[in-house]
Amino acid sequence: MTLALELAQQALLQAGFVDGLAEFARPGTFAEVVLRGLSKAAIYVMIAAGLTLIFGLLGVLNFAHGALTMIGAYLGGLVMVLTVAQGTGPWARLALFFVAMAVVFGLLSALGGSIEVRLIRPLYDRPPIYQILLTFGVTLVLEELARIVVGFYGLQPLAEWQAALGTIPAFLETSQSLGPVSVRGLALFEIFLGALTVAAIWGFLTRTRYGLFIRAGSEDSEMAEALGIDVRRVFTVVFALGAGVAGVAGTLLMWDPVWGASVPLAAESLLPAFVVVIIGGLGTFRGTVVGGLIVGLVDATTTWWFQNVAVTWTWLPEVAIFMILVVALIVRPQGIYGVEEVGGH
Amino acid sequence: MALLDVADIETYYGESHVLEGVSLSVERGDVVALMGRNGVGKTTTLRSILQLTPPRSGSVTYDGTDLVGRRTHEVAAMGVGWIPEDRRIFTQLSVAENLRVSVPDGDDAAEALSIAFETFPILEQRRDQAAGTLSGGQQQMLALGRGLVGDNDLLLVDEPSEGLAPQIVADVADALAAAASETTMLLVEQNLPLALDLADRFYVLDNGRVVDEGDADAVSADDDRLRRYLSA
Repeated sequence: MTLALELAQQALLQAGFVDGLAEFARPGTFAEVVLRGLSKAAIYVMIAAGLTLIFGLLGVLNFAHGALTMIGAYLGGLVMVLTVAQGTGPWARLALFFVAMAVVFGLLSALGGSIEVRLIRPLYDRPPIYQILLTFGVTLVLEELARIVVGFYGLQPLAEWQAALGTIPAFLETSQSLGPVSVRGLALFEIFLGALTVAAIWGFLTRTRYGLFIRAGSEDSEMAEALGIDVRRVFTVVFALGAGVAGVAGTLLMWDPVWGASVPLAAESLLPAFVVVIIGGLGTFRGTVVGGLIVGLVDATTTWWFQNVAVTWTWLPEVAIFMILVVALIVRPQGIYGVEEVGGH
Repeated sequence: MALLDVADIETYYGESHVLEGVSLSVERGDVVALMGRNGVGKTTTLRSILQLTPPRSGSVTYDGTDLVGRRTHEVAAMGVGWIPEDRRIFTQLSVAENLRVSVPDGDDAAEALSIAFETFPILEQRRDQAAGTLSGGQQQMLALGRGLVGDNDLLLVDEPSEGLAPQIVADVADALAAAASETTMLLVEQNLPLALDLADRFYVLDNGRVVDEGDADAVSADDDRLRRYLSA
């Protein structure tokens, strides 16, 4: 009797799997999952880009990166809440979002530059654990400061800032039809902004003289210095840039209900960023883009499967991401594009 | 006044006392060979001049300016170029990018690169290739080319012939001779005939001290006086 029940269960499961496969392979469903994957990838790449730039050149694993993203989300939200009124039109809201992004980029870059000059620079001659502990300490300080400030203004530090979420234009909140595919406008905007960020950083690294200095310094900072490059200044610029990009990512997350501006965003954004840079290869921007795409697409695919076919347990997709990390660490510990040694001072 | 004057420098790696009062000078336009066995402090002398491993005492005067306490990029910007022992090209950058890194701000990059391409035509053929994929000889040419495009008044060249095939050594020697006609050079080299052929003067280091010096014309490659300090 028990065996018969088990066989019946298996048959049902198989039938569900086959049906699920057929549904997944349907062009509309597949395209929808890919678009969701790309939007997740865009977010992951934006969060991880600064982390990998900083590690690539300075060899510093910046544990404060998530906290900078969180500060960016709150600052971006603040700009939006202060400037958007009920009657503000959707295009004006979008324009104000880009203003907020620019403001946050400037402020976070200045903060990042100050952190590098005042706090991290004196520790370059010490073992890496000092820098890890320091940046972890910066995270704790920034988180507590954020907790105090948002609490002072009557907001719940652990919950997403609803007022900031409410500044999103209507056309990004509603679903948009692309042929047979229906996808939320915000997902398309995230893809657009992610691609823009990647193109901007890629262009900066490959088309500018300063980008050339960064790539040279990432490979051999002592040789770069001996060729006349002020590597210390390049370190500051890269840390500032990395912090600025973290802030830009935070500004975008402020509009995404899955994330939102909240104090726990610091840790929530840091974890996937680490997964992405480890899979792609610590310190390589190309690896971060590829790693972000892999994690985003796997995340979207497993989310769809777990929610539509297997079981309805929302945490399982995150388990899948960390499973990729485990496999990557076993198969290729240096990551897809990683090299044995990067950065340093 | 000498272009480079190193006076009584004491350099350490941690507690290890590597240079014990090294003094040498390089006149403008000269090629000076710095010779000695492995591990006697030749590379450390070059690193001390560049302030990569700053001396704890003594002075390094370049064109009348004391370099001790300055940062390495400032020393490089004053016109001191370095062609290190293990080439240290940027393997992930293209050949052209490796050369462009060395071009000082404000200089015409295309014009500067043409200097290297004229000296080593193979580099122009491979200008867009990743430098890490070049052969050992081509990488050495790139390292030398990087020194040539840097608009340097003084080149510190460390073991340029090490590990190269004889034909490549001949090419490198020609390039060094061409460079020597344009710039001043402090050359660390264990290939005695090559060093003496290029050099106007020489210094011999042993155990972190200068133990011999003189005019290159006055000695030959099989001179007992030199071989005593250079043979293993």
